[in-house]
Amino acid sequence: MKNNKWHLKPLAAAFALAGLVGGLSISQQAVASIDTGDDTLEISGFVENATYFRNKVGLSKFRNTLQLEGTKLLGNMGAFSEVSINGTFRATYDGVYDLNSDEYGDGAGGAVFLTPVVPATGTFNVAPGGGIPLGNLTTEGLRNEGLEILGQSRHTVKGHGVELAVPVRPCDKDSRGCLDGYMDDSLNELRYSDFNDRWDFIRELYVNAVIDMDSGTTFNLSVGKKQEVWGRTDLFRVLDILNPIDYSRNNIYDEFEDTRIPLWMATAEWQFGANNLLDDMNLQFVWIFDKFRPSKLGQSGTPNQILGAGELFRSLNLCWEEGCTASVFAGVTPDDASIATNFGPGVLGIREADMPEWSLANSQLGVKFEGVYKDIGFSLNAFYTRSQLPSLRAGIPSDNPFTGSVLTGGNYGDNIESQYYSHLISFDIHFPRVFLVGGSLDYYSEALDTAIRVEGAWTKGEEFADSTQERLFSESEVARWVIGADHNFFVRSINKNKAFLLSFQTFGQHILQHNRVQRAFGEAGIPDRENNYISTLLLQGWWMQDRLSFKVIQAYDWGAEAYVVSPAMDWLIDDNWRLQVGANIKFDRGPAEWADCTKCSPFSPYTDSTAPIHAGGASGEAGLGGIEPLGRFIDGPIGTARNEDEIQITLRYRF
Amino acid sequence: MKKFTKGLLGAALLSVAASASAVTDIDIENSFKPYTKGFPTVEGVVAGLVINKDNVDKYASVFDKGMIKHIKDGWVDITVGEPMDFVLNQRYIDATKAGAKNVKLGEKTGQIEGYMAGRAFPMEPSLDDPRAGEKLAWNFQYGYNWGDSAAISPFYWAYKNMNTGKIERNIKFNFYFMNFAHRVSQDPVPEVSPNPGGLFRAIYLNVAEPFDVKNTQLLIHRSKNDLKRDNSWLYLGFQRRVRRLATGQTTDSFLGSDLMIEDFEGYNGRVSDMNWTYKGTRTMLMPFYDASKQERTDKYKEADGYKYSTYHGKGGCFPNVTYSLRKVYVVESVPVDSNHPVGKRVHYMDAQTFTLPRTVTFDRQGKYWKSWSIGQAHPDHHLPINKGSGVSIDDSFGIMDIQSMHCTTGQFKGIVDENLVKKKQFSVQYMRSFGK
Repeated sequence: MKNNKWHLKPLAAAFALAGLVGGLSISQQAVASIDTGDDTLEISGFVENATYFRNKVGLSKFRNTLQLEGTKLLGNMGAFSEVSINGTFRATYDGVYDLNSDEYGDGAGGAVFLTPVVPATGTFNVAPGGGIPLGNLTTEGLRNEGLEILGQSRHTVKGHGVELAVPVRPCDKDSRGCLDGYMDDSLNELRYSDFNDRWDFIRELYVNAVIDMDSGTTFNLSVGKKQEVWGRTDLFRVLDILNPIDYSRNNIYDEFEDTRIPLWMATAEWQFGANNLLDDMNLQFVWIFDKFRPSKLGQSGTPNQILGAGELFRSLNLCWEEGCTASVFAGVTPDDASIATNFGPGVLGIREADMPEWSLANSQLGVKFEGVYKDIGFSLNAFYTRSQLPSLRAGIPSDNPFTGSVLTGGNYGDNIESQYYSHLISFDIHFPRVFLVGGSLDYYSEALDTAIRVEGAWTKGEEFADSTQERLFSESEVARWVIGADHNFFVRSINKNKAFLLSFQTFGQHILQHNRVQRAFGEAGIPDRENNYISTLLLQGWWMQDRLSFKVIQAYDWGAEAYVVSPAMDWLIDDNWRLQVGANIKFDRGPAEWADCTKCSPFSPYTDSTAPIHAGGASGEAGLGGIEPLGRFIDGPIGTARNEDEIQITLRYRF
Repeated sequence: MKKFTKGLLGAALLSVAASASAVTDIDIENSFKPYTKGFPTVEGVVAGLVINKDNVDKYASVFDKGMIKHIKDGWVDITVGEPMDFVLNQRYIDATKAGAKNVKLGEKTGQIEGYMAGRAFPMEPSLDDPRAGEKLAWNFQYGYNWGDSAAISPFYWAYKNMNTGKIERNIKFNFYFMNFAHRVSQDPVPEVSPNPGGLFRAIYLNVAEPFDVKNTQLLIHRSKNDLKRDNSWLYLGFQRRVRRLATGQTTDSFLGSDLMIEDFEGYNGRVSDMNWTYKGTRTMLMPFYDASKQERTDKYKEADGYKYSTYHGKGGCFPNVTYSLRKVYVVESVPVDSNHPVGKRVHYMDAQTFTLPRTVTFDRQGKYWKSWSIGQAHPDHHLPINKGSGVSIDDSFGIMDIQSMHCTTGQFKGIVDENLVKKKQFSVQYMRSFGK
């Protein structure tokens, strides 16, 4: 735990950035941008340091960024006019992995001891491998260093459901639990998150060209790596789903502009303009031919892991690859889970992430029809895509730990067989195909003096954890919507010249084939609520010619009863310097529990309970559960980050 | 009986005010060419005269009270330039001759009937006409302004501390204007088709610099029906999203400047948003000038060698231009909306061009709030392409918030060139395309 190293190379990079900040001396009179001496070439950019401090953790971000944006106008080329090349390049170094490496770097984690309710092996503090011997961990599985207990940063662990150890160091420092190709970043890939095999330092690079037709229609073609934005609402992604999101940057709290993961795509758009019915009419086709990329959820041992998914997946892959000790898993009686239990490899956990290869069939297609009718702006959207969030599908061939185990009179490994077991918590990760149709509209209500924005979408193909199913997931159609209202109002006594902005939004989600049932030991099924709502309220004011603004963003997850308030100040010191200071504070009712398939009895008769569902040796969810692993879906993204209160300071120099 | 007579008289006056006028071509010639018989004169006010705090009392009649105070306080010296005739585009004058006789006010403020194109009410206003102010407002609203379409590209704004002269922020814009209806000089005439939304005019702008507001775009659609609210959209570059603007935001500080969207071009709102009162006709010094004879700067390099207006005086807030004697209609506008931040504006409306070179704004408590000047350059001595356009070129502006001692200045490169302005620019989708 005490290997906090100061690496020379990244620190040099940090100081180099700082030096760049100090060394730039553009005239105050000049509007910030680089004078290229070429009217057809625009280049601008910024350097930025974002330093965040997290309660009880210390430094949680020391991100230094250099971003360059440029446009080169090429003029007319063949049938095309207004041809341009547009690029955005970003280089980021996050020093938190060096400056607070005890928490987030190669010194993170340590030895862990699980805490069974009943110490079947003689102690309440069980190291990996110290459970009852239902299997043997590998040497790596037994190595008790660089570990945390799953969920320990979010809740107390003792007696609240399954306990698993999870490696927390970067994957090149400790490869245990790292899935191949998914959440497997090395220390340098975490430090320099834009530099990876997908060339994320190219935020955008695309060619744009226009054909102005005699009919008055404008055809706009754009090809390259880019962000494409649909929809009309902020903060929520109902239609704005063409690009996946990098939640590892700052959970759900950064601007999408910075967190969308650009993809290689082509967009073709016909801007028909006005006709006898519509004031404006456009048709757009989007073809995303990039190799599929899921949203980046943050891997184990990093500061921002939305829903704690990164550590869950790593603990489960550790369990599959090296074996693991799961505390409060086996029971003293058939109906409880109280004893730490050792499993060998290939029994439980996540085997692999099935990352779709590039193929024409795996590309994504979207179409949008957009227009203005009278005073209403609207769009109709359809998108054939893949889920950007992982689905855990059980039903992979696994070993029966009981046949041949010491508990059944033999030695583990002698007679194990690899076959399908229903209700067994061994998974592969998939990203299923999803089809979305939706629409949006905006309207200004004169009576309310309020601009109203609405988005809605229906999807087919999404998958949800569901332990009542043999393969522990079920597919459901989902309806999502957002309604937003923006109202500007003056408080002259505070600000004579500038109105305050009050923006309210509510997001709703309805899972159409929702499944929840009452079983012998509790409720089971899909942990996500059938209907859930999240509301946000933004209040913002500006002073000093908009150079100083204060805003407070609040969000409340009605189902999770989780609340976050984020006050922030934004000061444009001059044309070049900008300082932002904010906080992010959460409140919630505490961690929720959910059935976790501890009592699913996949290996009858060894795992039978007295629950009726196990009569006759059948497998099935009996409803026993705890906080881990599925309580996170009840807590939601705000609730799971309950212990991530932060002070955030960002200083930017733009040029 | 007396009461009845008075009521009858009032009704008769209103009837006269609202009816189509018996306007003649001579009235129209007088309206567009008020200086045919010579420029107005005021004793001692001749080209080359510098009016400063020592002699301003002598020439007080040619300034508004606000400007007198600024000169007295030593904030600015005004140099008198040669008078110039700003004859508007002949097609606009012809359209006035063809249509003005059919134009009359409707029952309510904001209603106008029979208007096709040109100056709506070219007859000399009368203090006896209770709706004279409204007619003048229509003349401004349907003024030749930037013609049927034009661009200000680029358009540099500077936010300044008046006390220190420090420039706090610079913004580089591109502005585009297009009339969808009542067009006179550029095809299609008189209206763009199709025009299902019944638009009269649209303004589109984008921000080129600085980085934090780059690609911010604003689109305003004004309907032919003045009683219908403007539709406005804002594209925020950092969100890559178009947001519909609430009307209240047009009376908000625009991007932190000292202007509201409603202040654009002197007044950028509906006629029906205000109660208009004609207060009289005056001879005043107004910033109408020959740009080629002004001090200009090449601070912002232009390939064509164009040089921008300069600023002087307190905080560098006053356009450094010469003023010339002009025939001016004084018109007051009072917002209909009781929540409007402005209590009253006094517009000094140029009688020949119906531009608003000078507007003084008072807050709801009646205190002097903003001093707003827009320098008008003669088109024949500006960019070559503007020569003969018959557009009074907005060339320099300074708007001062007297209460907070802050100002915003603007340096225009106004180009009357229909090739720079495309219909597609005035659509919401264009904002999305441009903003990528």
